[in-house]
Amino acid sequence: MRNHLRGALLSSMIAILFTAFLGVGAGQPGAQPAAGGRGRGPAGPPQPTPRLPDGTPNLGRVPGEKGVWNVPYITNMGERVVEEDGKTYVEKHPPTGRGRGAPAAARGDAPLGGGEGTTGGGRGGAKSEPQVPFQPWAAAVYDYNSKNQSKYDPEGYCLPPGGPRLMATPYPMEIIQLPEQKRIVMIFEGATHIWREIYMDGRPHPQGDELNPTYLGHSVGRWEGDTLVVDVVGFNEQTWMDYFGHPHTDMLHVVEKFSRPTKNSLAYEATFDDPGAYTRPFTVRWNINWNPTSELTEYICQENNKYLQRLTDDFGQPIFGRKP
Amino acid sequence: MRMKSAAFVVAAGFMLATGSAIAHHSFAAEFDANKTINLKGVVTKIEWMNPHTYFYLDVTGPDGKVVNWGMEMGSPNGLMRAGWTRNTLKVGDEVTVEGSQAKDGTYVGNARAVVLAASGKRLFAGSSQTETPQR
Repeated sequence: MRNHLRGALLSSMIAILFTAFLGVGAGQPGAQPAAGGRGRGPAGPPQPTPRLPDGTPNLGRVPGEKGVWNVPYITNMGERVVEEDGKTYVEKHPPTGRGRGAPAAARGDAPLGGGEGTTGGGRGGAKSEPQVPFQPWAAAVYDYNSKNQSKYDPEGYCLPPGGPRLMATPYPMEIIQLPEQKRIVMIFEGATHIWREIYMDGRPHPQGDELNPTYLGHSVGRWEGDTLVVDVVGFNEQTWMDYFGHPHTDMLHVVEKFSRPTKNSLAYEATFDDPGAYTRPFTVRWNINWNPTSELTEYICQENNKYLQRLTDDFGQPIFGRKP
Repeated sequence: MRMKSAAFVVAAGFMLATGSAIAHHSFAAEFDANKTINLKGVVTKIEWMNPHTYFYLDVTGPDGKVVNWGMEMGSPNGLMRAGWTRNTLKVGDEVTVEGSQAKDGTYVGNARAVVLAASGKRLFAGSSQTETPQR
């Protein structure tokens, strides 16, 4: 697959071009309030990390204030892989000319995310990336998902994202720390309206058959200085790692790191170790911006999912809907 | 894109207007970015529901035939963050909608922008979940 680099690069360039034009195509004045530019937060110098009374970083709201994390739209984890020089692909190849005049929502602005490659033209059959250490079967699955424009993405079925894709599915999210109870809860507005619990009481993962494979897996966390480190195992195989369809197996082990260097930024990093699908572990990284004025709202994905009703298989037959 | 006798235009090959990314499902799996549509018609039904709001409009073609189109937009919460309410669009409203047609050629589309004829107001209609806008 590695000799497809040129094709992959070309596809990336096309995707970037699409993104650049997106603002022109979708933009109109007045639909969005000024969103504070790329930094997202209010103007002025960065505000320090909020802290709980015991000094632990507060990854959530400051009492008396609103706020949610604006989870970005990272469609391809392959572009977020941290390479040997410590930089990610997109940091080394930043998209340019993204239609700055357009409303933020249309432009998909943010230093990260923004629906890379997902604009109308889709994925263009982008091949498995050389920086992702695919096993051959995983590369083949990925390329299949690419060729059919991710039509079988479980998220399109209103199934939840698993693992780091939770932090790449663009709906607001809140982190609620409950130190007295030794746990942290993350609430996701989108991604099928789910919550996630991280045990902070020092318990180990369940072993053997006690570990029941689930969409979100079993998360245990600890603080290393100002960084929350979360260890996750016990994933089922019903999710994709991203919209682009990087597969994983139930052998997946994820280590996530969350830190809040300033009030308005959540630094996120995740290491995938899945010997069932990849030849070695790899790490992805991005930032999540704080939205100081928003709150979570309801989003019940399953309500009226016409995508499912219209979805057809590779032979053009309806998968869930009525036969025509 | 202004049209005299209403109707619709299915323009091919114009990539600039391909528009809205969809967070919930794959845009390109369902819609053809190259089949841009610009429809003028009267709203017949609104489904203010998740994961995507749909509205339907009767479009009268040049031959006088009326076709009922279904248009997909963002989710209610996404649209509300972009300034919509459930009453922004009402049955009977005359609207112009820009978007992309379904790949299967049915009268279904993904809306990118909706212009209300009464006020001339142009509203971003796509899945604003490409990020979570401030508000």
